[in-house]
Amino acid sequence: MMDSGFDRRDFLKVMGWSGAAVALSGCGNTSIEDGKETLVSYVEAVDYQIPGVGVYYNSSCAQCDAGCSINGKVREGRVLKLEGNPASAINRGKMCGLGQAGVQHHYNPDRLREPLLRNGGSGETITWEKAYALISEKLKGVSGEEIAFLSGVVSGHLKVLLGNYLSSLGSKNHFVYEALAPGVVRAANKKAYGVEMPRYNISKAKVVLSFGADFLGAWVSPVHFSQQYAQFRKGVDGQRGVLIQVEPKMTLTGANADRWVPIRPGTEGILALGIINALGIATGDIAAAVKGYDKARVSKETGVPPGHIDKIAAILKLRSPSLVLAGGAAEGYAHGSQNAAAINLLNHVLGNVGKTVEASAAVPFPQMAPAKGNTAALKSLNDGLAEGKYKVLFNYAANPVFTAPGAMKFKDNMAKAGFKVAFAHYMDETALQADLVLPLESALEDWGTQVPEYMAEGAQINILQPLMENVHPNTRSIGDILLALLKQSRAEEYKNYEDFYAYLRSALVQNKAALGGHAMDEDAFWNETLTKGIIKLVGTTAALSGKAGISGLKLPAPAEIDEQYPLQLIPSVNISLRDGRHTNQPWLQESPDPLTTIVWDSWMEIHPKKAAELGIVEGDIVEITSRIGSIKTQAYLFPGIHPDAISVPIGQGHEAMGRYAKGYGVNPLKIMDAVFDRETGELAMHETRVKVSKTGQRVIVVKDESAAGAKQIREKIAGRVYTDNVDLTKEV
Amino acid sequence: MHRFLRITVLLTGLFAAFSIYAAESQQSVPMTEDSLGPLVEQPIEFPHNRHAGDADKGGMQINCMYCHTYARRSAVAGIPPLQKCIGCHQSIESVRETPRIKKLFEYWEAKKAVPWKKVHDLPDFVRFNHERHIKRFIEQQNRPFQEVCGYCHGNVKEMTVARRSKGLTMGWCASCHQKDHTVVAEGGTPIGTQAYWYTFYKPEVEDASAGVLKAKGPNDCWRCHK
Ligand code: SF4
Repeated sequence: MMDSGFDRRDFLKVMGWSGAAVALSGCGNTSIEDGKETLVSYVEAVDYQIPGVGVYYNSSCAQCDAGCSINGKVREGRVLKLEGNPASAINRGKMCGLGQAGVQHHYNPDRLREPLLRNGGSGETITWEKAYALISEKLKGVSGEEIAFLSGVVSGHLKVLLGNYLSSLGSKNHFVYEALAPGVVRAANKKAYGVEMPRYNISKAKVVLSFGADFLGAWVSPVHFSQQYAQFRKGVDGQRGVLIQVEPKMTLTGANADRWVPIRPGTEGILALGIINALGIATGDIAAAVKGYDKARVSKETGVPPGHIDKIAAILKLRSPSLVLAGGAAEGYAHGSQNAAAINLLNHVLGNVGKTVEASAAVPFPQMAPAKGNTAALKSLNDGLAEGKYKVLFNYAANPVFTAPGAMKFKDNMAKAGFKVAFAHYMDETALQADLVLPLESALEDWGTQVPEYMAEGAQINILQPLMENVHPNTRSIGDILLALLKQSRAEEYKNYEDFYAYLRSALVQNKAALGGHAMDEDAFWNETLTKGIIKLVGTTAALSGKAGISGLKLPAPAEIDEQYPLQLIPSVNISLRDGRHTNQPWLQESPDPLTTIVWDSWMEIHPKKAAELGIVEGDIVEITSRIGSIKTQAYLFPGIHPDAISVPIGQGHEAMGRYAKGYGVNPLKIMDAVFDRETGELAMHETRVKVSKTGQRVIVVKDESAAGAKQIREKIAGRVYTDNVDLTKEV
Repeated sequence: MHRFLRITVLLTGLFAAFSIYAAESQQSVPMTEDSLGPLVEQPIEFPHNRHAGDADKGGMQINCMYCHTYARRSAVAGIPPLQKCIGCHQSIESVRETPRIKKLFEYWEAKKAVPWKKVHDLPDFVRFNHERHIKRFIEQQNRPFQEVCGYCHGNVKEMTVARRSKGLTMGWCASCHQKDHTVVAEGGTPIGTQAYWYTFYKPEVEDASAGVLKAKGPNDCWRCHK
């Protein structure tokens, strides 16, 4: 072929110039569309609707379980923007990025619109009546034990209704599964403090020592903790709070800490006991038990320099009260409960219990308290499915086919259930395996109540109310669906409730005296409730009852390095994507990971030293292999990770769900071993060992940071400097 | 040779690009007081003159804001809901069978909006606020509404379907914002219960002895380009 000299590059240049010209002329009057654009007016005016003027409604965020209250701007009947509701003690008018993306969930082009019935490999659109009739038909002759209902966290009236539905079926098999819930920490807290989730008073603490609790990013109630953190940094008595973060992989909280201490994965408990020993204030059997944890041994086992241990102990002694947190990075081991117990013990020894670890208030209606659960529930469901125990399986607000560890083979086991019903927003991996898929309203279209697990001050019930009419008319509220199903067997009992709204309203109005509305008539109470979006209650406060005990606390020696699989896989929690249920919201894909600034993809974090050893440079496509399988992704050299570990974020690697999720990145959970915490039976998220090999391919990592920015971050990470010559009290 | 070809092609591209731009920019509206917009064909030929015109010319002298009710409440004036037209016309038997009204009722019975075409439009990067202008001139200074609406919309009461009759370019807007307008008290306050300055600057006091204060309209970029 003759080389004309007019290559693609020149062609693009010409195109560019013409494009610019068109764009320029676009700035002129051509953007004025008089005589062209149609102006559509209302046929009938709607009350309170003035074109161009927003109205605001209070509701609740349903993007995670923290339970922030929101205020949505609605214009011309469309919700445009969400803000936090200032009246809520949990978020005080603020929101996180994940919450902001709620509108993209609502308007998502990939939302399900019609009920679908499996017809071979595809779904056939059916009517709701047919769907309900089908469920009733499939339930005929099936005993309660043969029915399983899997859900994410449910609370409030929905939980009550769901409980009633299951009891109408004679089933007790409600499995509550949240892939990233702090299941082990809850159990350890219950033992140490008498409650699963005490109130952590970060703002009152002078030192926070956090073992892998990413409370500024994705842990429990991040918006609330971020505000507490701001106060903590302003300081109590003029002393700016000091944050020390101990974890093998730097989180957002770790990046904000005064001192980030990388630790050998799994040895958090050993360090906690080592600190108790170094403090030297424990007495009795605690003192006796920690005696063996001298500096030299602890330092050797955890990889934390002895000087660091001294300094942490010194500052904890100097400044009281402090607060010690056990988070995700500490609990993800077969001995996770032991780790968490050792860390909680530190709070007892330091006298923080009752000061910075306080009793939290609970809603005085225990039936509305959230049904919680973690991976142990998934395991027991999975075992049941594997045995072929269940004939009918319901799934709501969980996506186990995507989030269950590969070793569980959940997808295969799910196929053994005779009839699978998924209530879903998207055609996600689990819905794809179902026989009947029922499309749900978005949280901005739905009615409901929420009772958050973590209460900030007092107790509160959050109100969920529609900000606008359904985008897709044939989607339904999960409440309406459950009510319709309940009526199949208990028509008489529920005949007064036309829909879930009627149920909700009558349930709240009947209890108005207990909900602070004794002086109001029903309508006034109801209107006020909807206007405020929150019902504040005095709440019942269970006093902290646990005690400092060391009996039964046995920490295993650090695991030996496995020759074949020498590295520890840390499936990290990305602050936007969490467990992957929101991956199809493009804002979240587009917002860079706070530490690596990578967008729209997965990556593997590896310590530069380790990378050099393996000959890996940034952008190398590497294969990560565990006993279960392997994944391939791009390498990112990151000094904020322990050299013995690598980390891949959770949330990417969807094979279904929608256009912004499917086909981006890889799912580290697919190669996860099924190792469980010995005490609680929860999945040990950090127990998977892997090896890493180069594939020979290399890509340019798509990220926001520049080379200079990366260098700066690297220099800032003090953990890299293994020195004893650091005085924390002087540094802060 | 190749190099020459490349440059030629690039130049041709540039020339083409410039011509596109030049051709487009020729349409720019001159900054004159009056500048007629295109004749816009509407689904129903709405007679503004019949509704708002003077009585001696057969008009009903209806206040603009009776139908364009959103203008005083919002940035946009909005087009009246169909319900509003029907509200009156269902009891005006005399014209019930005329072609335009028959068409109107057809839309109403089908519960369909009338697809009016835009007559006055601004680029998307300009935020014009009807409410502010109405507050300023009609509510605070009590000027006749037809005069005030007419500043920008022309003499609508003599039109059938509306036609743009002002430039609506930035220069045209600025020509009015640069004029001295009477204000009620120094600093633009107090007018009603609302107090605000019209500009960043104190209004120039012209002939203070006569008690007449004048101020210019806002001249900050961000007033319109948010
Ligand atoms: S923390 Fe959770 S509930 Fe709060 S705004 Fe963010 S996503 Fe919503």
